[in-house]
Amino acid sequence: MITVQNLYHSYNKDDRYAVKNVSFEVQKGEIFGFLGPSGAGKSTTQGILTGLLQLQQGEVSVAGYDVKRSSPEMFNKIGMSFEQSNVYSKLTAKENLQFYRKLFDVETREPKELLKLVGLEGKGDIQAGEFSKGMKHRLTFARSMLNNPELWFLDEPTTGLDPAIAAEIKDIIKRDNKKGVTVFLTTHNMFIAEELCDRVAFIIDGEIKLIDSPRNLKLQYGEKLVEVEYIENGKSVREKFSTVLDKDKKRLQDIIGNYEIQTMHTKEATLEEIFIKVTGRGLV
Amino acid sequence: MKLWHSFIKELKLAFRGFYIYIEIFMAVLLLVILLFAVPEKFVSKQSEYIHLNLPQMVKESFLQRMEDNDLDGKSELIEIKNDGEVIKVQFFESDTRKIYLVDNKEDVIKLADKKQQLGAIIKLDDSYNLAYEYYLQGYESQRLKNLFSIIHVENSDILQTTLDEQDVRPLSTSYEQLTDRQNILPSVLTFNGSLLGLFLIAGYIFLDKKEGVIKAYAVSAASVWQYLLSKVGVLMLTGIISSLIVVLPIMGLQPNYWALILFLLTTVFLSSTLGLLVASFYEDFLQSFGSIFLILMAMVIPNIAYFIPGWNPFWVKILPSYPMLEGFKEILLKNGDITYVLWLSFGFLAAGIILFLISNKRYKKTLTV
Repeated sequence: MITVQNLYHSYNKDDRYAVKNVSFEVQKGEIFGFLGPSGAGKSTTQGILTGLLQLQQGEVSVAGYDVKRSSPEMFNKIGMSFEQSNVYSKLTAKENLQFYRKLFDVETREPKELLKLVGLEGKGDIQAGEFSKGMKHRLTFARSMLNNPELWFLDEPTTGLDPAIAAEIKDIIKRDNKKGVTVFLTTHNMFIAEELCDRVAFIIDGEIKLIDSPRNLKLQYGEKLVEVEYIENGKSVREKFSTVLDKDKKRLQDIIGNYEIQTMHTKEATLEEIFIKVTGRGLV
Repeated sequence: MKLWHSFIKELKLAFRGFYIYIEIFMAVLLLVILLFAVPEKFVSKQSEYIHLNLPQMVKESFLQRMEDNDLDGKSELIEIKNDGEVIKVQFFESDTRKIYLVDNKEDVIKLADKKQQLGAIIKLDDSYNLAYEYYLQGYESQRLKNLFSIIHVENSDILQTTLDEQDVRPLSTSYEQLTDRQNILPSVLTFNGSLLGLFLIAGYIFLDKKEGVIKAYAVSAASVWQYLLSKVGVLMLTGIISSLIVVLPIMGLQPNYWALILFLLTTVFLSSTLGLLVASFYEDFLQSFGSIFLILMAMVIPNIAYFIPGWNPFWVKILPSYPMLEGFKEILLKNGDITYVLWLSFGFLAAGIILFLISNKRYKKTLTV
């Protein structure tokens, strides 16, 4: 669905590249996570893929269209939800969706249905300018579904949303993905990436450091640990043990046999910990 | 259809914003000023403060002549307040002048100074001939000063006879003029109707950039030209509305309204595409303000040439507002040259298309950056 080869981009058109030698592919029906801290090159890459930025160097194909020669028709297949809400504040929620649906040449979804889906039922006649930040974000998200996109670009889709709404948004993404929609997810939130993505790419300083599935990354880079809290000589003690190393396994058996266990959890390395391990950098 | 939907959306936004109401308010304000503050004809009567230092008989002869020329055939005794002092004067009013006959020379000088008008003492010289002493303001032209120097050399009756004997024949009898009030309309139409588009379209574009809605438009299946043209369309419509608000009550059915609408459409098209092009170089309104202000000020210059026909150098005629003023004037005249208006419209349309194509190319590259 997306093919990127040797992509370079410089805002100043010099050798200070925001994105350099980026190559990857996204298969149809996949949820592909593009992860990295602010300024890593995520938005630049996404901007080029969606035609918001001009392709300077490299080969990019999106939904079967060469981005260099892209036409407005390409956008009939694409949906884009922006990190920063960008709706007409003087138009009502319904008018916003009604207007944008008329810009597509394919069958579109009913605004009323979409508003209900994102939890804005009954708010259709209110001007978007009166919405809270979260409501505007949901309206922006709803707009990205208008044309039943085959390829869905989502930029930080749950940022600023309360946990219940964020969970609903994640469910919508999962549901549409099951119907065959390909998702290109840009985020610095490793939890949502871990939960949704089939594969992730770690990008830092404009370069992709690694691409794999969260499961493979955990197997490859994560340590399997058990965290135990037990009582020893009347005091609470907390320790972590490897489930792989013999020495740790024996010590764990000893503790279970001889001490009063208060809590015991298996602990996997998070995607964030793996990101830090691989790139040497945090996600902020 | 996408263009139509974009146009309807822009129209909704315009009526829910405030720019359009500023435009309409300005049109109503200008109409009120033109109707209630600007006379049909500017009649400026010269005020003169005169003291007659003459023997009684000569003085009476002068007074008799002034009364003969007075509108109601008699003078009035009035009081003029000047720096807290009340000065009693005899007042005469003719078709062209207001004459205040003052009792003494000192009061003439005081009034001429305070009222910034002409003061004069008429007296007899040593040879018992009439002598005139004028008090001017200092800024009068040399021509006027020369005229005062020679006007009394000949007997004024001879001058009048000579003037009466001159035969003045107009070369064209079909030539009509606008009244002074109507003559202001081309300027109003050019700046409030046509050129306001330059400023407003930049406002609309920067508002969209601020809200980020341009990005959403850019990832839809619509084209940039549709986005740009829908905005131009709204400005064309509002330009016509605000212009008709002013023209209809003042001109009635005299102008050729089809020509007026065509001319408004093409001139607004040109000015708004120019605004589009300028706005494409900037991120926000503040950054673009200098350039827009400069262009608007340049467009004001032909207005000076319009009101001072003796001053119209070639470079002023190149500025688009010059032919705009001329075109609107031809439309408002009863027998105006509509062929000239059509040619101008064609020229504005052609120039507008070129600017629009350049703008479209630039916005394709810069719209979302």
